[in-house]
Amino acid sequence: MPRVLATQSHVVHGFVGNKAATFPLQCYGWDVDCCNSVQYSNHTGYGMDKVFGNITDEKDLNQLLSGVLCNFANDYEALLSGYLPRKESVRCMGQHYTAYKRENPNSVWLMDPVMGDEGQLYVDQDVVVEYRNLALSPYSDVDIMTPNHFELEIICGKTIDNEDQLKLALQELHQTVPVVIVTSCDEKVFNDPQHVYCVASMKGHNPVVLRVPLIKSYFTGVGDLFSALLLDRVYKLLSLSDESLKLEHQVNDVLNVIQGVLKITMAYAPKNHIAKIGNAIDMKNAELRIIESRHLFNQDIPIEGKQNFIYREL
Amino acid sequence: MTRSKEPRAFDPFSKREKRTRRVLSVQSHVIHGYVGNKAATFPLQYRGWDVDGLNTVQFSNHPGYGRFTGFRSQPNEIYEIMQKGLLEGLQMEYDAILTGYLPSVESLQITAKVVGALCRREPHINWILDPVLGDNGKLYVAEENVPAYKQILRENDVYVVTPNQFEMETLSGVKIDSLQSLRLSFELFHEAYPRVEKIVVTSLEFPSSADIGEQYIYCACFDTHPASNAMSYFKIHKLDAQFSGSGDLFNALLLDCIVPAQKEDAAALPTVLRKVLLLVDKILRRTLELSVAEDAPSQQSRVIKDLKLIQCAELLHPDRRFEDFEAAARITESILD
Repeated sequence: MPRVLATQSHVVHGFVGNKAATFPLQCYGWDVDCCNSVQYSNHTGYGMDKVFGNITDEKDLNQLLSGVLCNFANDYEALLSGYLPRKESVRCMGQHYTAYKRENPNSVWLMDPVMGDEGQLYVDQDVVVEYRNLALSPYSDVDIMTPNHFELEIICGKTIDNEDQLKLALQELHQTVPVVIVTSCDEKVFNDPQHVYCVASMKGHNPVVLRVPLIKSYFTGVGDLFSALLLDRVYKLLSLSDESLKLEHQVNDVLNVIQGVLKITMAYAPKNHIAKIGNAIDMKNAELRIIESRHLFNQDIPIEGKQNFIYREL
Repeated sequence: MTRSKEPRAFDPFSKREKRTRRVLSVQSHVIHGYVGNKAATFPLQYRGWDVDGLNTVQFSNHPGYGRFTGFRSQPNEIYEIMQKGLLEGLQMEYDAILTGYLPSVESLQITAKVVGALCRREPHINWILDPVLGDNGKLYVAEENVPAYKQILRENDVYVVTPNQFEMETLSGVKIDSLQSLRLSFELFHEAYPRVEKIVVTSLEFPSSADIGEQYIYCACFDTHPASNAMSYFKIHKLDAQFSGSGDLFNALLLDCIVPAQKEDAAALPTVLRKVLLLVDKILRRTLELSVAEDAPSQQSRVIKDLKLIQCAELLHPDRRFEDFEAAARITESILD
């Protein structure tokens, strides 16, 4: 059984961060060792006056990761990192993960550089430079990155308005990171408000565009679920070195599972429900229905009614 | 010997269960391994529960490894998350609350205060309380937790309490070394804490347990509800190993079986307990098999540090019939009288 060390947030209620990642990965057969970067009652979309709990400070985070990686020095096939609230916590995770990767070069590190979305940062400004260092250092040990459009712009330090610029940004990032999935591109790139566009890019190959119909509601945790499911699929691709497995097919599988989860989530929500950020009851109704979707997290059983979201090459 | 995983599909959820059961589980968290919330969460989720896991500590691993790092959550943090966040802010509606290891007497008291008040307001919420004090004759929490637990059990409507032998002895004041003294401890426990509805004592061992070369452990229960008012016990073949986290797994599965999704699936306490013991026994056997296969001969003391919960997923599948596990386990049930 593969084992993953996952460093991201924990919420008591709801499904974001480690709560969104852990159960699906466990269903896929992973031992998931969760290092929680925060413990909050619920995610921050409920409104900051509704969030209780604490950030794991750098000293504690450092001790936890030191303890784990000292006691279990070679136990991990994969490393996953997501939301870390501060510069120091990103740096701390980066140092430990980098050291682990150097000792265990066959392990796979998926870094989700969680910084913000649609032009808005939701971490401290000085987190940016830490992620840029981890991604762009010539000695970068990151294997897979899953930025959204905004995060890719921040990492590459330029705006991306069209396909050519997107292609160029991916080429630049591939100098240090072999697999990059842009989880959602801005509308301006493909000029199509009806779909969400996702680009899967592997170094040395033409990037492939996938698109899924847009669901008009506000779901939190989809990105965290995406990176967890992707880690499982891409781990197989990289570790098995199976030439027949193609990145875009793996991403297509992940998108199918996510569409399934969103459909189930919608089915449980009140009729005509469109969640608004800041309204606690709306947010509660929009929590991903991870548990009710558990029949979807089974590799041995093909995805029912699987759709092809692969659109074209970039 | 490792068995190949048998793929087993979940029915789309809505077909079988109309409603997701919700539990708030207040226990420890370890990054590596399966104790506390890490032992409880996956089995409960796999069996259809939405588990709100409130972590009372975050440690790198459990102390059984010898060295570990981490920190305890402060009583105020636990209070604010539960009271202000979950109950007031989110107006969460739970079917059950599970409380386990709490790192200080202050966090124990504040947790019990919030949960106790909630259960008084909403009597349909089932509180499963594991009075974590120690094991094998030794306390592993501060002395002051003993009177704190006694007070909590006196004053609150606890649905099920799950002490081990040492904890039962400590709370009832009776040394348990025979079936007779077990019965007495149940009686005195009920006298002291009449508001506790069901008592389940796990992993009992008596001096007479070693019958002709075979080791046994006992598990006993007392349903004090007037409709049943009965004590029973189970005699189980003891496995040649100790497992960290088995008690936490037991509590989680007991919760699952004793708070069923449909009212009509409710069963008598001994029936529920038999199921849970069969399933736990099966998981422990598989864990032992897999652990021995991993690093064979050196394990003299046979302390198994990590349950193999992920590898046991198919055993946890809600469609598995417990009767399938019966043959290997050989559990006998008797009335305690």
